[in-house]
Amino acid sequence: MEPINSSDGGADQVLVEEHSHVKKVVLNRPKQLNALSFQMVNRLLELVLACEGDCSVKLIILKGEGRAFSAGGDVAAVVRDISEGNWKAGAKYFRIEYIMNYVMATYNKPQVSILNGIVMGGGAGASIHGRFRVATEKSVFAMPETALGLFPDVGASYFLPRLPGFFGEYLSLTGTRLDGAEMLACGLATHFVPEARLSLLEEALCNANSSDPDIISAIIDEFSQQPRLKEKSVYHLLDIINNYFSRRTVEEIILALEREAVNTNDSWISSTIKSLKAASPTSLKITLRSIREGRLQGVGQCLISEYRMVCHVVQGKLSKDFMEGCRAILLDKDKNPKWIPSKLELVSDEMVDQYFSKLDDEDWEDLKLPTRSNLPLHVIAKL
Amino acid sequence: MASSLDRLAFRTKILTNHLLPTSQTAPPLLPSPCLNYTPPDLSDPSQFDTRHMRALLDGHNLADRDWLFGLITQSKLFCPRERGVGRVFVGPDYNQSMEQQREMTMRRIEYLLERGVFEGWVTGKGPEAELRKLALLEVVGMFDHGLSIKLGVHFFLWGGAIQFFGTKHHHEKWLRDTENYVVKGCFAMTELGHGSNVRGIETVTTYDSSTGEFVINTPCESAQKYWIGGAANHATHTVVFSQLNIDGNNHGVHAFIAQIRDANGNICPNIRIADCGHKIGLNGVDNGRIWFDNVRIPRDNLLNSVADVSPDGQYLSAIKNPDQRFAAFMAPLTSGRVTIAVSAIYSSKIGLAIAIRYSLSRRAFSVTPNGPEVLLLDYPSHQRRLLPLLAKTYAMSFAANYLKTLFVTRTPESNKTIHVVSSAFKATLTWHNMRTLQECREACGGQGLKTENRVGNLKGEFDVQSTFEGDNNVLMQQVSKALLAEYIAAKKRNRAFKGLGLEHMNKSCPVIPSQLTSSTLRSIEFQTDIFCLRERDLLSRFAAEVSAHEAQGQSKEYAFILSYQLAEDLGKAFSDRAIFQTFIEAEAALSSGPLKDILGLVRIMYALISLEEDSSFLRYGYLSPDNAAAVRKEVAKLCSELRPHALALVSSFGIPAAFLSPIAYNWIEANSWSSVQH
Repeated sequence: MEPINSSDGGADQVLVEEHSHVKKVVLNRPKQLNALSFQMVNRLLELVLACEGDCSVKLIILKGEGRAFSAGGDVAAVVRDISEGNWKAGAKYFRIEYIMNYVMATYNKPQVSILNGIVMGGGAGASIHGRFRVATEKSVFAMPETALGLFPDVGASYFLPRLPGFFGEYLSLTGTRLDGAEMLACGLATHFVPEARLSLLEEALCNANSSDPDIISAIIDEFSQQPRLKEKSVYHLLDIINNYFSRRTVEEIILALEREAVNTNDSWISSTIKSLKAASPTSLKITLRSIREGRLQGVGQCLISEYRMVCHVVQGKLSKDFMEGCRAILLDKDKNPKWIPSKLELVSDEMVDQYFSKLDDEDWEDLKLPTRSNLPLHVIAKL
Repeated sequence: MASSLDRLAFRTKILTNHLLPTSQTAPPLLPSPCLNYTPPDLSDPSQFDTRHMRALLDGHNLADRDWLFGLITQSKLFCPRERGVGRVFVGPDYNQSMEQQREMTMRRIEYLLERGVFEGWVTGKGPEAELRKLALLEVVGMFDHGLSIKLGVHFFLWGGAIQFFGTKHHHEKWLRDTENYVVKGCFAMTELGHGSNVRGIETVTTYDSSTGEFVINTPCESAQKYWIGGAANHATHTVVFSQLNIDGNNHGVHAFIAQIRDANGNICPNIRIADCGHKIGLNGVDNGRIWFDNVRIPRDNLLNSVADVSPDGQYLSAIKNPDQRFAAFMAPLTSGRVTIAVSAIYSSKIGLAIAIRYSLSRRAFSVTPNGPEVLLLDYPSHQRRLLPLLAKTYAMSFAANYLKTLFVTRTPESNKTIHVVSSAFKATLTWHNMRTLQECREACGGQGLKTENRVGNLKGEFDVQSTFEGDNNVLMQQVSKALLAEYIAAKKRNRAFKGLGLEHMNKSCPVIPSQLTSSTLRSIEFQTDIFCLRERDLLSRFAAEVSAHEAQGQSKEYAFILSYQLAEDLGKAFSDRAIFQTFIEAEAALSSGPLKDILGLVRIMYALISLEEDSSFLRYGYLSPDNAAAVRKEVAKLCSELRPHALALVSSFGIPAAFLSPIAYNWIEANSWSSVQH
């Protein structure tokens, strides 16, 4: 299979700093907001696997260079592959990325991710599965895939539905952005540390010489703050969100919102409806299904399902919304994607089912996850 | 890890741990020399697509099921509790008082109502709406049988009675309000003195033409309505089954609507209600007793689809035959038997998923000196206890799906088939469930005794299934009776058997080879032949015995009662054959591949375990003693062949971890000292 193209060589896209017991890994593609290229996910996977077997490494710190932790996967490269007729290269990218997500989710050493900036899509996948996620006042989290004709992947079908109530449905369908305080409140982040204290935190972690999560947690606690949720935070609306986003289908969710919109002039209602209407109908439906199934499955099973879905997406037989979304949002930037089918009611349950079935292609196979051993308790509970 | 320690040091360390008293400041227990939990999920990878298998087993509305599972796990009302690190389980708090449990049931219903779970449960029409309702009810039942029973009473019995016995104005008046719980319904059929024999009930309703009202009365203590789910606390209305008496003429059992509480929950005048008290299970359901003291209801409250009374007191019925009229009244009970049969299988699935997962992580005894202890499921005896029950549960899962399809696509012509099949399956599947739960409880050892581990508790919660909506023994007798009627009709009029799967009776009698090889035993042809042979032979034996009794001057009814032994064998034969047929149909619909292969193995196990277990095969000579020995040997072989697939087979049940129990997962951590402190 062809390697995925990349605009630069990729050798310095992931920097590694060695400290006595700590491996500090820096995502270094700041111009692209640290979007994860194929080389980066490959390198990250290599690194985490190597550190796992290296008893001198007790802790991994993962951070981003510049104003983003990571804005996601390198979708532009995947789209290039697809348009060159090489969807299998795209599938390969996701395969490596999901295996990396799985290894991080089932890791036996603490990973501390410093989320000082944008953390979206693939960036969330490289951090949220780890043991510690440090948000700051600069954090911006989102899973914006439904607007791109994709769906929240990278194990999001495992971690989003485990947020309180139906917040996961809300985030995944609307792509709503959260700040650091909201990330902490809903559990996406484990700590909130002001940006100004990050370098001290990193220094303290480098001196910790421990893999004990309680000790690491206590160290981060020393630098942590309890941030206040902003007055207009969506997290204050959790009860309302639960009421709408617990509905059975996407149509019912929108219907309930629209009924309410008639009576009130609420800006949350109208912006929520607007996000949902802008997204790919197919994406919304497969996303809701994926989130709801994922709520009931282990992390490995979630990634296996997502891999089937994403392969259908890049193969483009069931729908070409992903290409269209990338065109409209990332390339032409006309923000006017023409989704096919264009309406929710045209996306049947059978069409949704197909995304979860094996691909009808000779040399395609299900995602094979590496065997894991020596798992800590909290990881066993994720299986 | 234990394996890296030398055995001697390991023993010494354990002994030291025993002997040295631990002070209060002792360091937390280290996992090292002790047992470690190894998740079976890592060592037993599935060799088939469990997702596809789940779709086969659940059959329909998978996304709706997952939605409801999620509604339950995401709400505090369903008592989520963390046991061990990161594992949350839901389930009612059975340690609450009966009254508290009943209130929780009602609050959970209100939550599900708000989320739109019951949309279309009464007002929806057609197979699609019915299947959705059944799927959601199954999920509710996996959380708590009591919750599904409480819903079943309101929607299927009360709501069903209005749908089936009522006419347009009843539908308009009650159905929408029922779906939205504006009224809470119950179903007053059973009395203290009459259960299965509904025609003998003693409640009497008379018509007063001077006021245009019916007057309902409980004439004696044995006529008090008994076991009425919803009556003790919550129901505002009831369907009352009663003898209808007009001017001294009894027209048999009819159904009426009566209000028993006002909107504030106060009991209405001339109604007396008492509690049935604490039960061995289902304490979240408020079963009560009702007495009617000349309760007056408007004439309109007669559910008049079968028969009506004119304002001046004329009795009018389109169905002249009282037997047929009564049969029409029994129709809604079919839906109950369908849901009971299906839910019994989901209960077995929970039991087996827990017991098998436990047996894949729990070890006992070493077989070699200093060797590691052996996993429970690696003992052939443990396999023999659980895996045949697993195969039967698969078979009955397909049977339950068939029954549901039959029910939701019912026509007037299919009523008889539904009655017979639902009776047979309700009895067979609920008996199977109780037996499975008991075996699973024992297979979990002491852990099976804990309520939090579900299996033992499910026994109490599901025990009633063999009694309500028709006592299992009575139902099985009705099956045999119906088969006998078919037989007599076919022989008398010399016409071919048609329906109830009896067509095989028209062919020549199958011949079983005198020596059964392994490959014969595993073939669908042999298995079909021997199930059919048993059924046809028992049917003719039964017919012969009944007619022999009749020839000796016994009444037809008494001749039937005297032939109970053959009746029992025959009912079972019918049921087993019908279940087997649904299995081979499910299997035939698959294209070849790993899924079909594994299902074939499970089907072989189902067939052969049925041969091994039912003594009628030996008693009547369908199997020679040598062949019975060959079957037994094959079953043992099948156990070891199914063993590698055990985990994947229970994973395919699609039951979320939160609905199983701590022993199905990391039971060491769930019982650790640190989890006590939380």
